[in-house]
Amino acid sequence: MGRAMPALDELAPLFRQVFDDDELTVTRATTAADVEGWDSLTHVTLMLAIEKRFKIRFKSSQVASLKDVGELADLIDALTRS
Amino acid sequence: MTVAAELLAYVKARHPRSWRGVEEARALDTARFDAYAELLLGWAIRALGDGAIARTVDAFVHFTSDVNLAQGRYEADGRYESSSYREVYEAVYADRATMDDYLWGVYLTNFLWVHHLEISAFYEARFVARLPERARLVELAPGHGGWGLLALHRRPGATLAGFDISPSSIDIARSLARAAGLADRASYELRDALTLPAAGDADACICNFLVEHLETPARLFEVIAGALAPGGRAFVSGALTAAQVDHIHEFRRESELVLLAEQAGLRVLETLSVGPARTLPGARHLPRSMSLLLQRRTREHW
Ligand SMILES: C[S@@+](CC[C@H](N)C(=O)[O-])C[C@H]1O[C@@H](n2cnc3c(N)ncnc32)[C@H](O)[C@@H]1O
Repeated sequence: MGRAMPALDELAPLFRQVFDDDELTVTRATTAADVEGWDSLTHVTLMLAIEKRFKIRFKSSQVASLKDVGELADLIDALTRS
Repeated sequence: MTVAAELLAYVKARHPRSWRGVEEARALDTARFDAYAELLLGWAIRALGDGAIARTVDAFVHFTSDVNLAQGRYEADGRYESSSYREVYEAVYADRATMDDYLWGVYLTNFLWVHHLEISAFYEARFVARLPERARLVELAPGHGGWGLLALHRRPGATLAGFDISPSSIDIARSLARAAGLADRASYELRDALTLPAAGDADACICNFLVEHLETPARLFEVIAGALAPGGRAFVSGALTAAQVDHIHEFRRESELVLLAEQAGLRVLETLSVGPARTLPGARHLPRSMSLLLQRRTREHW
Protein backbone atom coordinates (compact mmCIF):
# COMPACT_ATOMS: atom_id res chain seq x y z
CA MET A 1 0.00 0.00 0.00
CA GLY A 2 1.66 3.18 -1.21
CA ARG A 3 -0.58 5.77 0.38
CA ALA A 4 -0.05 7.32 3.77
CA MET A 5 -1.62 5.46 6.69
CA PRO A 6 -2.89 8.00 9.16
CA ALA A 7 -4.05 5.28 11.50
CA LEU A 8 -0.56 3.83 11.84
CA ASP A 9 0.98 7.21 12.79
CA GLU A 10 -1.68 7.82 15.34
CA LEU A 11 -1.38 4.34 16.75
CA ALA A 12 2.19 4.67 17.98
CA PRO A 13 1.36 7.04 20.87
CA LEU A 14 -1.42 4.70 22.01
CA PHE A 15 0.97 1.76 22.00
CA ARG A 16 3.50 3.76 24.02
CA GLN A 17 0.86 4.66 26.54
CA VAL A 18 -0.67 1.17 26.93
CA PHE A 19 2.67 -0.63 27.09
CA ASP A 20 4.22 2.13 29.17
CA ASP A 21 7.27 2.44 26.92
CA ASP A 22 8.28 5.85 25.50
CA GLU A 23 10.73 4.29 23.08
CA LEU A 24 8.30 1.86 21.51
CA THR A 25 8.02 2.00 17.72
CA VAL A 26 5.55 0.04 15.66
CA THR A 27 5.43 -0.88 11.99
CA ARG A 28 2.85 -2.75 9.98
CA ALA A 29 4.79 -5.96 10.64
CA THR A 30 4.87 -5.63 14.44
CA THR A 31 3.19 -8.52 16.27
CA ALA A 32 2.61 -9.40 19.92
CA ALA A 33 5.85 -11.38 19.88
CA ASP A 34 7.77 -8.09 19.30
CA VAL A 35 6.18 -6.06 22.10
CA GLU A 36 6.93 -6.79 25.74
CA GLY A 37 3.68 -7.18 27.66
CA TRP A 38 1.30 -7.52 24.69
CA ASP A 39 -0.90 -10.30 26.05
CA SER A 40 -4.62 -10.96 25.82
CA LEU A 41 -5.45 -8.49 28.62
CA THR A 42 -3.30 -5.57 27.45
CA HIS A 43 -4.70 -6.26 23.99
CA VAL A 44 -8.17 -5.38 25.27
CA THR A 45 -6.84 -2.26 26.98
CA LEU A 46 -5.27 -1.26 23.68
CA MET A 47 -8.47 -1.96 21.73
CA LEU A 48 -10.57 0.11 24.13
CA ALA A 49 -8.08 2.99 23.94
CA ILE A 50 -8.23 2.81 20.15
CA GLU A 51 -12.04 2.78 20.17
CA LYS A 52 -12.03 5.95 22.25
CA ARG A 53 -9.39 7.73 20.19
CA PHE A 54 -10.92 6.91 16.79
CA LYS A 55 -14.57 6.89 17.91
CA ILE A 56 -15.20 3.42 16.54
CA ARG A 57 -16.47 0.15 17.99
CA PHE A 58 -14.86 -3.21 17.29
CA LYS A 59 -16.77 -6.46 17.03
CA SER A 60 -15.33 -9.11 19.28
CA SER A 61 -14.47 -11.37 16.33
CA GLN A 62 -12.37 -8.54 14.87
CA VAL A 63 -10.47 -8.09 18.12
CA ALA A 64 -9.56 -11.75 18.46
CA SER A 65 -8.18 -12.37 15.01
CA LEU A 66 -5.81 -9.40 14.49
CA LYS A 67 -2.37 -10.74 13.66
CA ASP A 68 -0.21 -7.65 13.38
CA VAL A 69 -0.29 -3.86 13.53
CA GLY A 70 -0.88 -3.67 9.77
CA GLU A 71 -4.16 -5.56 10.09
CA LEU A 72 -5.11 -3.36 13.00
CA ALA A 73 -4.40 -0.16 11.04
CA ASP A 74 -6.42 -1.44 8.08
CA LEU A 75 -9.33 -2.32 10.33
CA ILE A 76 -9.30 1.14 11.94
CA ASP A 77 -9.17 2.66 8.48
CA ALA A 78 -12.16 0.64 7.34
CA LEU A 79 -14.17 1.42 10.47
CA THR A 80 -13.46 5.15 10.47
CA ARG A 81 -14.55 5.36 6.83
CA SER A 82 -17.80 3.45 7.18
CA MET B 1 5.70 -35.15 21.15
CA THR B 2 3.19 -35.14 24.03
CA VAL B 3 -0.20 -33.50 23.57
CA ALA B 4 0.81 -30.81 26.08
CA ALA B 5 3.98 -30.04 24.13
CA GLU B 6 2.04 -29.83 20.88
CA LEU B 7 -0.50 -27.54 22.49
CA LEU B 8 2.17 -25.23 23.90
CA ALA B 9 4.07 -25.09 20.61
CA TYR B 10 0.87 -24.17 18.78
CA VAL B 11 -0.07 -21.40 21.23
CA LYS B 12 3.41 -19.93 21.14
CA ALA B 13 3.64 -19.91 17.34
CA ARG B 14 0.08 -18.85 16.49
CA HIS B 15 -1.27 -16.97 19.46
CA PRO B 16 1.54 -15.06 21.15
CA ARG B 17 -0.93 -12.86 23.07
CA SER B 18 -2.32 -15.97 24.78
CA TRP B 19 1.05 -17.42 25.70
CA ARG B 20 1.41 -15.74 29.07
CA GLY B 21 -1.91 -16.89 30.45
CA VAL B 22 -1.37 -20.48 29.34
CA GLU B 23 2.12 -20.47 30.82
CA GLU B 24 0.67 -19.21 34.13
CA ALA B 25 -1.84 -22.04 34.25
CA ARG B 26 0.83 -24.64 33.56
CA ALA B 27 3.11 -23.12 36.21
CA LEU B 28 0.37 -23.47 38.85
CA ASP B 29 0.32 -27.26 38.56
CA THR B 30 2.38 -28.63 35.69
CA ALA B 31 1.58 -32.29 36.31
CA ARG B 32 -2.17 -31.64 36.38
CA PHE B 33 -2.03 -29.32 33.36
CA ASP B 34 -0.15 -31.92 31.30
CA ALA B 35 -2.47 -34.71 32.44
CA TYR B 36 -5.57 -32.72 31.39
CA ALA B 37 -3.94 -31.88 28.07
CA GLU B 38 -3.39 -35.59 27.50
CA LEU B 39 -6.86 -36.63 28.65
CA LEU B 40 -9.21 -33.78 27.65
CA LEU B 41 -7.42 -32.66 24.53
CA GLY B 42 -6.81 -36.33 23.74
CA TRP B 43 -10.60 -36.87 23.65
CA ALA B 44 -11.02 -33.81 21.43
CA ILE B 45 -8.36 -35.13 19.05
CA ARG B 46 -10.23 -38.43 18.82
CA ALA B 47 -13.54 -36.61 18.33
CA LEU B 48 -12.39 -34.07 15.75
CA GLY B 49 -9.51 -35.85 14.00
CA ASP B 50 -6.67 -34.02 12.26
CA GLY B 51 -6.40 -30.36 13.10
CA ALA B 52 -8.12 -30.76 16.48
CA ILE B 53 -5.46 -28.81 18.35
CA ALA B 54 -5.68 -25.87 15.96
CA ARG B 55 -9.49 -26.01 15.98
CA THR B 56 -9.90 -26.11 19.75
CA VAL B 57 -7.06 -23.73 20.62
CA ASP B 58 -8.26 -21.16 18.07
CA ALA B 59 -11.72 -21.47 19.64
CA PHE B 60 -10.23 -21.01 23.11
CA VAL B 61 -8.34 -17.89 22.02
CA HIS B 62 -11.47 -16.39 20.47
CA PHE B 63 -13.56 -17.22 23.50
CA THR B 64 -11.00 -15.70 25.87
CA SER B 65 -10.73 -12.60 23.71
CA ASP B 66 -14.53 -12.21 23.71
CA VAL B 67 -14.60 -12.58 27.48
CA ASN B 68 -11.84 -10.02 27.99
CA LEU B 69 -13.51 -7.52 25.69
CA ALA B 70 -16.88 -8.03 27.41
CA GLN B 71 -15.14 -7.45 30.74
CA GLY B 72 -13.59 -4.23 29.44
CA ARG B 73 -17.00 -2.99 28.28
CA TYR B 74 -18.54 -4.01 31.62
CA GLU B 75 -15.87 -2.02 33.46
CA ALA B 76 -16.84 1.01 31.38
CA ASP B 77 -20.64 0.56 31.44
CA GLY B 78 -21.09 -0.89 34.92
CA ARG B 79 -23.45 -3.62 33.73
CA TYR B 80 -23.55 -6.77 31.60
CA GLU B 81 -24.40 -6.11 27.97
CA SER B 82 -27.25 -8.68 27.74
CA SER B 83 -30.33 -8.84 29.88
CA SER B 84 -32.72 -10.97 27.83
CA TYR B 85 -32.41 -14.76 27.96
CA ARG B 86 -34.45 -15.06 24.79
CA GLU B 87 -32.07 -12.83 22.83
CA VAL B 88 -29.04 -14.72 24.08
CA TYR B 89 -30.72 -18.01 23.21
CA GLU B 90 -31.25 -16.90 19.59
CA ALA B 91 -27.82 -15.33 19.16
CA VAL B 92 -25.72 -17.90 21.01
CA TYR B 93 -27.16 -21.25 22.17
CA ALA B 94 -29.31 -21.86 19.08
CA ASP B 95 -26.68 -20.61 16.61
CA ARG B 96 -24.63 -23.57 15.42
CA ALA B 97 -21.51 -21.81 14.16
CA THR B 98 -21.26 -19.53 17.18
CA MET B 99 -21.96 -22.28 19.66
CA ASP B 100 -19.63 -24.96 18.27
CA ASP B 101 -16.71 -22.56 18.50
CA TYR B 102 -17.83 -21.31 21.91
CA LEU B 103 -18.12 -24.78 23.41
CA TRP B 104 -14.73 -26.00 22.21
CA GLY B 105 -13.27 -22.80 23.60
CA VAL B 106 -14.96 -23.24 26.98
CA TYR B 107 -13.83 -26.87 27.06
CA LEU B 108 -10.18 -25.84 27.13
CA THR B 109 -10.71 -23.19 29.80
CA ASN B 110 -11.02 -26.07 32.29
CA PHE B 111 -7.25 -26.25 32.35
CA LEU B 112 -5.93 -23.34 30.25
CA TRP B 113 -7.33 -20.68 32.60
CA VAL B 114 -5.33 -20.72 35.76
CA HIS B 115 -8.34 -20.24 38.05
CA HIS B 116 -10.34 -22.91 36.26
CA LEU B 117 -7.47 -25.34 36.67
CA GLU B 118 -7.92 -24.74 40.41
CA ILE B 119 -11.64 -25.45 40.11
CA SER B 120 -10.94 -28.65 38.19
CA ALA B 121 -8.66 -29.80 41.01
CA PHE B 122 -11.31 -28.94 43.62
CA TYR B 123 -13.98 -30.76 41.60
CA GLU B 124 -11.93 -33.92 41.35
CA ALA B 125 -10.73 -34.02 44.94
CA ARG B 126 -13.87 -32.97 46.79
CA PHE B 127 -16.71 -34.07 44.52
CA VAL B 128 -15.69 -36.77 42.04
CA ALA B 129 -13.47 -38.73 44.42
CA ARG B 130 -16.32 -39.01 46.94
CA LEU B 131 -19.03 -40.15 44.51
CA PRO B 132 -20.61 -43.52 45.24
CA GLU B 133 -19.22 -46.34 43.09
CA ARG B 134 -22.34 -46.68 40.96
CA ALA B 135 -23.46 -43.07 41.15
CA ARG B 136 -26.39 -41.90 39.03
CA LEU B 137 -25.41 -38.43 37.88
CA VAL B 138 -27.45 -35.63 36.37
CA GLU B 139 -25.63 -32.85 34.53
CA LEU B 140 -27.43 -29.60 33.79
CA ALA B 141 -26.04 -27.49 30.93
CA PRO B 142 -23.17 -29.88 30.16
CA GLY B 143 -22.16 -27.78 27.14
CA HIS B 144 -19.14 -29.69 25.79
CA GLY B 145 -19.77 -32.41 28.38
CA GLY B 146 -16.24 -32.40 29.76
CA TRP B 147 -17.11 -32.07 33.46
CA GLY B 148 -19.46 -35.02 33.58
CA LEU B 149 -17.28 -37.16 31.34
CA LEU B 150 -14.33 -36.59 33.63
CA ALA B 151 -16.45 -37.93 36.51
CA LEU B 152 -17.46 -41.01 34.48
CA HIS B 153 -13.84 -41.58 33.49
CA ARG B 154 -12.76 -41.63 37.14
CA ARG B 155 -15.80 -43.62 38.34
CA PRO B 156 -16.22 -46.65 36.07
CA GLY B 157 -19.54 -47.69 37.64
CA ALA B 158 -21.27 -44.29 37.31
CA THR B 159 -23.86 -43.24 34.73
CA LEU B 160 -24.93 -39.77 33.61
CA ALA B 161 -27.94 -38.04 32.07
CA GLY B 162 -27.19 -34.58 30.66
CA PHE B 163 -29.65 -31.83 29.66
CA ASP B 164 -28.70 -28.80 27.60
CA ILE B 165 -30.77 -26.32 25.63
CA SER B 166 -28.28 -26.06 22.77
CA PRO B 167 -28.25 -28.54 19.86
CA SER B 168 -24.50 -27.94 19.51
CA SER B 169 -23.99 -29.07 23.07
CA ILE B 170 -25.82 -32.34 22.54
CA ASP B 171 -23.75 -33.14 19.44
CA ILE B 172 -20.41 -32.16 20.95
CA ALA B 173 -21.04 -33.88 24.27
CA ARG B 174 -22.08 -37.08 22.46
CA SER B 175 -19.02 -36.95 20.22
CA LEU B 176 -16.72 -36.45 23.20
CA ALA B 177 -18.42 -39.28 25.08
CA ARG B 178 -17.79 -41.62 22.14
CA ALA B 179 -14.19 -40.43 21.84
CA ALA B 180 -13.67 -41.04 25.55
CA GLY B 181 -15.18 -44.54 25.33
CA LEU B 182 -17.95 -43.46 27.72
CA ALA B 183 -20.95 -43.32 25.37
CA ASP B 184 -22.57 -46.37 26.95
CA ARG B 185 -22.77 -44.57 30.30
CA ALA B 186 -23.62 -41.01 29.19
CA SER B 187 -26.86 -39.85 27.56
CA TYR B 188 -27.66 -36.30 26.49
CA GLU B 189 -31.04 -34.75 25.81
CA LEU B 190 -32.00 -31.40 24.32
CA ARG B 191 -33.99 -29.80 27.10
CA ASP B 192 -34.34 -26.62 29.12
CA ALA B 193 -32.84 -27.60 32.46
CA LEU B 194 -35.42 -25.51 34.27
CA THR B 195 -38.17 -27.88 33.10
CA LEU B 196 -36.59 -30.99 34.64
CA PRO B 197 -39.06 -32.81 36.88
CA ALA B 198 -38.19 -33.23 40.55
CA ALA B 199 -37.47 -36.95 40.33
CA GLY B 200 -35.49 -36.93 43.57
CA ASP B 201 -33.42 -39.98 42.61
CA ALA B 202 -30.00 -38.71 41.47
CA ASP B 203 -26.99 -39.44 43.66
CA ALA B 204 -25.27 -36.33 42.40
CA CYS B 205 -25.77 -33.34 40.15
CA ILE B 206 -23.24 -31.29 38.19
CA CYS B 207 -24.14 -27.80 37.02
CA ASN B 208 -21.26 -25.57 36.01
CA PHE B 209 -21.63 -22.05 34.66
CA LEU B 210 -25.35 -22.01 33.93
CA VAL B 211 -26.67 -19.98 36.86
CA GLU B 212 -25.34 -16.60 35.65
CA HIS B 213 -26.97 -17.21 32.24
CA LEU B 214 -30.48 -17.24 33.67
CA GLU B 215 -33.11 -14.63 34.41
CA THR B 216 -34.34 -16.75 37.32
CA PRO B 217 -31.27 -18.24 39.03
CA ALA B 218 -33.23 -19.21 42.16
CA ARG B 219 -35.26 -21.62 40.05
CA LEU B 220 -32.10 -23.49 39.03
CA PHE B 221 -31.22 -24.33 42.63
CA GLU B 222 -34.76 -25.64 43.14
CA VAL B 223 -34.34 -27.89 40.10
CA ILE B 224 -31.03 -29.17 41.44
CA ALA B 225 -32.50 -29.90 44.86
CA GLY B 226 -35.49 -31.58 43.19
CA ALA B 227 -33.31 -33.83 41.03
CA LEU B 228 -31.28 -35.11 44.00
CA ALA B 229 -32.13 -37.96 46.29
CA PRO B 230 -32.09 -36.91 49.97
CA GLY B 231 -28.43 -36.55 50.96
CA GLY B 232 -27.34 -36.39 47.29
CA ARG B 233 -24.56 -34.01 46.40
CA ALA B 234 -24.18 -31.29 43.83
CA PHE B 235 -21.25 -29.47 42.33
CA VAL B 236 -22.36 -26.06 41.09
CA SER B 237 -20.24 -23.24 39.68
CA GLY B 238 -21.12 -19.70 38.75
CA ALA B 239 -19.42 -16.51 37.63
CA LEU B 240 -19.30 -13.32 39.72
CA THR B 241 -18.73 -9.85 38.23
CA ALA B 242 -17.48 -11.62 35.12
CA ALA B 243 -18.98 -10.36 31.89
CA GLN B 244 -19.64 -12.49 28.86
CA VAL B 245 -22.01 -11.96 25.94
CA ASP B 246 -24.43 -14.52 27.41
CA HIS B 247 -24.16 -13.60 31.10
CA ILE B 248 -27.35 -12.04 32.34
CA HIS B 249 -27.47 -12.28 36.11
CA GLU B 250 -24.72 -10.24 37.73
CA PHE B 251 -23.66 -11.95 40.96
CA ARG B 252 -21.47 -9.64 43.00
CA ARG B 253 -20.75 -11.51 46.21
CA GLU B 254 -20.15 -15.14 47.11
CA SER B 255 -22.95 -15.07 49.69
CA GLU B 256 -25.55 -14.56 46.95
CA LEU B 257 -24.93 -18.03 45.56
CA VAL B 258 -24.73 -19.53 49.03
CA LEU B 259 -28.10 -18.03 49.91
CA LEU B 260 -29.81 -19.29 46.75
CA ALA B 261 -28.55 -22.79 47.49
CA GLU B 262 -29.73 -22.67 51.10
CA GLN B 263 -33.13 -21.30 50.18
CA ALA B 264 -33.65 -24.21 47.80
CA GLY B 265 -33.05 -26.82 50.50
CA LEU B 266 -29.38 -27.46 49.96
CA ARG B 267 -26.63 -27.48 52.56
CA VAL B 268 -23.38 -25.76 51.61
CA LEU B 269 -20.56 -28.17 52.42
CA GLU B 270 -17.63 -26.37 50.82
CA THR B 271 -16.93 -23.49 48.47
CA LEU B 272 -14.05 -22.21 46.40
CA SER B 273 -13.94 -18.75 44.86
CA VAL B 274 -11.09 -17.97 42.52
CA GLY B 275 -10.12 -15.11 40.22
CA PRO B 276 -7.72 -14.94 37.32
CA ALA B 277 -4.03 -14.22 37.89
CA ARG B 278 -4.30 -10.75 36.36
CA THR B 279 -7.07 -8.23 35.67
CA LEU B 280 -7.52 -5.25 33.38
CA PRO B 281 -5.58 -2.25 34.66
CA GLY B 282 -7.61 -0.22 37.15
CA ALA B 283 -10.33 -2.88 37.27
CA ARG B 284 -13.17 -2.35 39.73
CA HIS B 285 -14.37 -5.92 39.33
CA LEU B 286 -12.53 -9.16 39.94
CA PRO B 287 -14.08 -11.59 37.45
CA ARG B 288 -14.22 -14.74 39.50
CA SER B 289 -15.60 -18.20 39.40
CA MET B 290 -17.15 -19.79 42.43
CA SER B 291 -17.82 -23.47 42.98
CA LEU B 292 -20.11 -24.86 45.65
CA LEU B 293 -20.21 -28.38 46.95
CA LEU B 294 -23.80 -28.90 48.09
CA GLN B 295 -25.91 -31.58 49.69
CA ARG B 296 -29.67 -31.97 49.60
CA ARG B 297 -30.90 -31.43 53.13
CA THR B 298 -32.87 -34.15 54.83
CA ARG B 299 -33.76 -32.10 57.95
CA GLU B 300 -34.58 -28.47 58.41
CA HIS B 301 -30.98 -27.32 58.72
CA TRP B 302 -28.80 -30.19 57.48
C1 LIG C 1 -20.85 -21.44 29.74
S1 LIG C 1 -21.60 -22.90 29.07
C2 LIG C 1 -21.17 -24.04 30.35
C3 LIG C 1 -20.78 -25.39 29.81
C4 LIG C 1 -20.18 -26.35 30.86
N1 LIG C 1 -21.13 -26.67 31.91
C5 LIG C 1 -18.95 -25.73 31.50
O1 LIG C 1 -19.01 -25.37 32.66
O2 LIG C 1 -17.93 -25.61 30.84
C6 LIG C 1 -23.31 -22.60 29.33
C7 LIG C 1 -24.20 -23.74 28.82
O3 LIG C 1 -25.50 -23.56 29.34
C8 LIG C 1 -26.42 -24.02 28.36
N2 LIG C 1 -27.75 -23.49 28.72
C9 LIG C 1 -28.16 -22.21 28.72
N3 LIG C 1 -29.42 -22.13 29.16
C10 LIG C 1 -29.82 -23.39 29.46
C11 LIG C 1 -31.03 -23.95 29.97
N4 LIG C 1 -32.06 -23.18 30.28
N5 LIG C 1 -31.08 -25.28 30.15
C12 LIG C 1 -30.03 -26.08 29.84
N6 LIG C 1 -28.86 -25.60 29.36
C13 LIG C 1 -28.76 -24.27 29.17
C14 LIG C 1 -25.82 -23.50 27.08
O4 LIG C 1 -26.38 -24.13 25.96
C15 LIG C 1 -24.34 -23.83 27.33
O5 LIG C 1 -24.06 -25.13 26.88
